[in-house]
Amino acid sequence: MSVGLVAVLFVAGGLVAAGMFAAAWRRDLTAALAGVPLMFAGAGAAFVGIARFAAAGSSIAFGQEFAVLLAIAAVALVALGLGIAGREGSR
Amino acid sequence: MDSLHAIGFYVSSGVSLAGALGVALLPLRDQRGVALGVAGIGLAGLYLSLSAGFAALVALLCYAGGAWLLAGPRYRSLESVAGSVWRQAGALGAAGLLAILAYAALRGDFAHATFNGGTFGAAAVGRLIFAHDALAAEAVAALVLAALAGATAAWRVRERERDRSR
Repeated sequence: MSVGLVAVLFVAGGLVAAGMFAAAWRRDLTAALAGVPLMFAGAGAAFVGIARFAAAGSSIAFGQEFAVLLAIAAVALVALGLGIAGREGSR
Repeated sequence: MDSLHAIGFYVSSGVSLAGALGVALLPLRDQRGVALGVAGIGLAGLYLSLSAGFAALVALLCYAGGAWLLAGPRYRSLESVAGSVWRQAGALGAAGLLAILAYAALRGDFAHATFNGGTFGAAAVGRLIFAHDALAAEAVAALVLAALAGATAAWRVRERERDRSR
């Protein structure tokens, strides 16, 4: 049993697709916002996979840096969106 | 990659995809919060099986925070501003964009592609975005700007209608 770049990209594509589906499917904006971290998760998985398998000869830390940045950006976006929604809902 | 790592990768992938589907399909917000946490656990395991331990730790913390925000008491529901006609037009536009991307993916030879931007790093990505793929990056930036301007305009229209109704 082995894992290659194609398997990682399939999982990343699945995460992005699920996130896009959640963002498009939900009528409530704050519920649709939950799809954004999933899309970011897919992008991070693709970065880590490419850094692990396809970028031979260079540091694999770069993909990890991007994945960390994307995870932090995802949770910051959710917090910002829920904050705006809370402010709008209390008006 | 040995068998143990491969098993960990596939199990973590299944967990993260199941969590992602839960976020998309579950009806209650606390269930969706738990599903986002499950997706984060799966993502952390996936990173760990790809030898990205620090990214796994950060992803676990961030997605746990996101799950807590979604399931927590400060959550407020906010209905979409756009009307049904605009939503359908947007869905049709997204479907057209997906068809174009799928056509490009089928025509492209990504499985055998090699990264030729030099050593893979921030400088190489910068060269690709600002030199080789500058037109595509500008097009994406223009799309994002148009989306933000449209969202702002929609909010302003709704605010005016709300003020008139008072």
